[in-house]
Amino acid sequence: MTTLTFIQPDGSEKSVAATEGRSLMEIAQGAGVAGIVAECGGSAACATCHVVLPQDVFDRLGPPEEHEEDMLDFADAPREPCSRLSCQVNVTSDMDGMTVRVPAA
Amino acid sequence: MESKISGTDIPIIDDIVFEDLMRDPYPVYKRAQAMGPIVRIEAANLLLVTHFDDILEIEHDPETFSSDNPESNVVKLFGPNLMRKDGEAHKRERKAIEPTMRPGTATRCWGPVLEGIVDEVISAFEKKGEADLFDALAAPISGRALAAVVGFDDVSWQTIAAWSQGMMDGAGNYSGDPKLTARALEVSREIEAAVDRNTRRLLEAPDESLLSSMLQAGLTTKEIYGNTKVAVGGGYNEPRDAILSLIYGLLLNPDQKDKVVADPTLWQPAFEEAVRWISPIGMYPRLLTRDVEIGGHTVPKGTQIGLSVAAANHEEPRFEAPQRYNAFRPKAQHLAFGSGSHFCAGTWVARVMVTRIVAPQVFARLKNLRLKDPDLVTIRGWVFRGPTSLPVVWDV
Ligand code: HEM
Ligand code: FES
Repeated sequence: MTTLTFIQPDGSEKSVAATEGRSLMEIAQGAGVAGIVAECGGSAACATCHVVLPQDVFDRLGPPEEHEEDMLDFADAPREPCSRLSCQVNVTSDMDGMTVRVPAA
Repeated sequence: MESKISGTDIPIIDDIVFEDLMRDPYPVYKRAQAMGPIVRIEAANLLLVTHFDDILEIEHDPETFSSDNPESNVVKLFGPNLMRKDGEAHKRERKAIEPTMRPGTATRCWGPVLEGIVDEVISAFEKKGEADLFDALAAPISGRALAAVVGFDDVSWQTIAAWSQGMMDGAGNYSGDPKLTARALEVSREIEAAVDRNTRRLLEAPDESLLSSMLQAGLTTKEIYGNTKVAVGGGYNEPRDAILSLIYGLLLNPDQKDKVVADPTLWQPAFEEAVRWISPIGMYPRLLTRDVEIGGHTVPKGTQIGLSVAAANHEEPRFEAPQRYNAFRPKAQHLAFGSGSHFCAGTWVARVMVTRIVAPQVFARLKNLRLKDPDLVTIRGWVFRGPTSLPVVWDV
């Protein structure tokens, strides 16, 4: 089990036990994390699942695909250097203890 | 007509006729919502799901609630397409069209093309001081925009409109009228011929059009035919109707109009409210792949159910006074573009077209735009709904 902490748009925190292999979006939705609307259910089509990752995790994952790159510019909350669409990031064991921020629009 | 509907204990609305739905389905939706999660609408021979949260839940489970329905008129008349596939098969074709549809492409590539189209269309009637915006504005813009995005450089907006009508008539032809079937098959062949012609050009000179993206991704000819037909059937009416509903909503509410016109960032919420208010696609189907409990009723495998996003978008108390257009509602999710893996692929093209180009241009150029007579406005449809006539006047 991997434990993740989401910082919700209002600043409050939510810790969640996450199953490896599922997307951060699925984990966040399952736990009712505020600000992860995920209208398109993970198709990278809606940009309503925007999160900001810690720098080291962001770097380890490598750059997002071109389509996600494009979509991130159109998320409600302004894009940040470590922004990702949470539906495009799968949970791995090395993320244990990670803090993920859901930016406020 | 053969009916696959069973589950006799499911509540029924059987005191309305089809024309009632076409005229104004919203009172029916309100009744259905009060009756439970799933209601049989006799006049449409369909089980309808009308609650927002139920639709979200259903869209989370595509294995049970499949988009695939080989028996549907659409698939029989027009062939398989991505909107009627699930899982990996869907994903592969969806990925193929992403480069055309992503918001950056919409802004950078389609933006200038659409600016040109909108300028030409408005210039043609700007001096008249009076028009029906359905014929003069929304139909030509939407048809020409679609032809451009699809990659048809030799197809007029009138042809797009006629194809779209032929496809809709064929898809809704549940009584099997042979004339409508013949027309739908003719449209199908005409679209395939247009794909063939334009393919020759796009293989020589690839671009960012839908057709070119599918060719570059290596989709088969059959897949390309099917998906191009979906784009024609699902990418023309909806922006047309959304443009008209947005203009209508603002003209009914001049105080809102003044604020939106003064602050261009408000076009986005004003547009989202328009498609919530009158959802261009009011209902879409899903097929049950196993027996399912819905609201205490067992609905058998093989049943087709309708997800009424139009009803969900008017559900109280989620939306207060839902029948009123209000661009200044608290920001909230709506279902006009669907949800889940089939979430409208054209969402961003539609958003860029309407919020950045069409709506600002219309209100900037048609001075003191107002309804000619509110009683002349007509709105029709339930599966597809929108204004069918929007007569306006302005100062020249
Ligand atoms: C305001 C305008 C529009 C609205 C309200 C709208 C609505 C929808 C809805 C509700 C669906 C989901 C149907 C389902 O799940 O069965 C959908 C799918 C789709 N739409 Fe749109 N649409 C609009 C504009 C467009 C445009 C302009 C295009 C093309 C240029 C387009 C192309 C598509 C495609 C290809 C799909 C299928 C996506 C998939 O199955 O993965 N739409 N649309
Ligand atoms: S859920 Fe829609 S982009 Fe991630």
